[in-house]
Amino acid sequence: MSAERITRREMLKRLIVAPVGAAALATLPVREGSAAVLQPYYEPYFVAVLWEGRTRCDSLWRSLKGDVVAILPTVQGTTPYDRLYWTGYALGSAPVNVNMRVWARAVDHNGVPLGNGWRAIGQATIQTPPQRWFRVEIPEGHWDEYRLEVRSATPRLVYSRVIASQGYWKE
Amino acid sequence: MPVRFLKNASELADVSMESPLPVQVANAKPVPADTLLVATLTVDTTARDLLGSTAAELPTLDNCGQYRRLVWFYFRTGADSTTYRVLARATDHNGAPLGTGWQELATDTLPGGANSWGRIEIPASSDGYYDQYRIEVQRTAGSSNYNLISKIVGVR
Repeated sequence: MSAERITRREMLKRLIVAPVGAAALATLPVREGSAAVLQPYYEPYFVAVLWEGRTRCDSLWRSLKGDVVAILPTVQGTTPYDRLYWTGYALGSAPVNVNMRVWARAVDHNGVPLGNGWRAIGQATIQTPPQRWFRVEIPEGHWDEYRLEVRSATPRLVYSRVIASQGYWKE
Repeated sequence: MPVRFLKNASELADVSMESPLPVQVANAKPVPADTLLVATLTVDTTARDLLGSTAAELPTLDNCGQYRRLVWFYFRTGADSTTYRVLARATDHNGAPLGTGWQELATDTLPGGANSWGRIEIPASSDGYYDQYRIEVQRTAGSSNYNLISKIVGVR
């Protein structure tokens, strides 16, 4: 990076030399994605990657993180997000037949859950031909913690990425 | 050839990661959420707000004008039939309500059984932006008081 200090008089001279460039650079139209990357003072991203990794699915209900401990969340700190998206890819040559369920709960100021257990958000079976992508949308947002569980009668590896979006609207 | 632009009214700077072009982010606004309240209430046959107050003019939440919607999360330890009411009103510049009483946004039976979670959006549809809210609950059947642990998140 390099910069130089100039006087207002010098600045005016340069603008006269290249008025088109100076005027055009004041507010360049950019795509929102580029703006988020380039703006140093921009608010936190409205789409965040909460978790990514692989899960060895078997006949037990496992969190995407692999554990079978029902009290453990898969993702935390999700209060700002109004929607979660789970995108996955299952390895193996057999058709995919994976059960999934989603739980959620709220926590107090100390991070302690308000109560025992979880609220069941939804349950479904993911059935696709082998080696296909799938995507699950979790529309019930602003819970503090979510637990995403999978199981499969046929053991297989599932690669996952969980992202969350802060809703935004056109003004 | 480096691209330069006018920065801070009197400085010409090369475009770089540290000194990016000025841009205007149009039509996009992140919507963070704030935790407004965490409270435990013993639910009995008296209509109380989530803070335990029976004074009908007291708000449960104040200064909520910036929030498009409130999300009420709760965990209830008892299953006895319970009614909830959501009230709202606007205030003037001094924080005084425009008038007495409240506008009732919702009233219904509190969903869920013993040791269950719940989630209620306020308002259920459209936008809020009210300044004050009062959320009351009252057990209407059964004989056992129970705890209602609530958390309210304001969404901009």
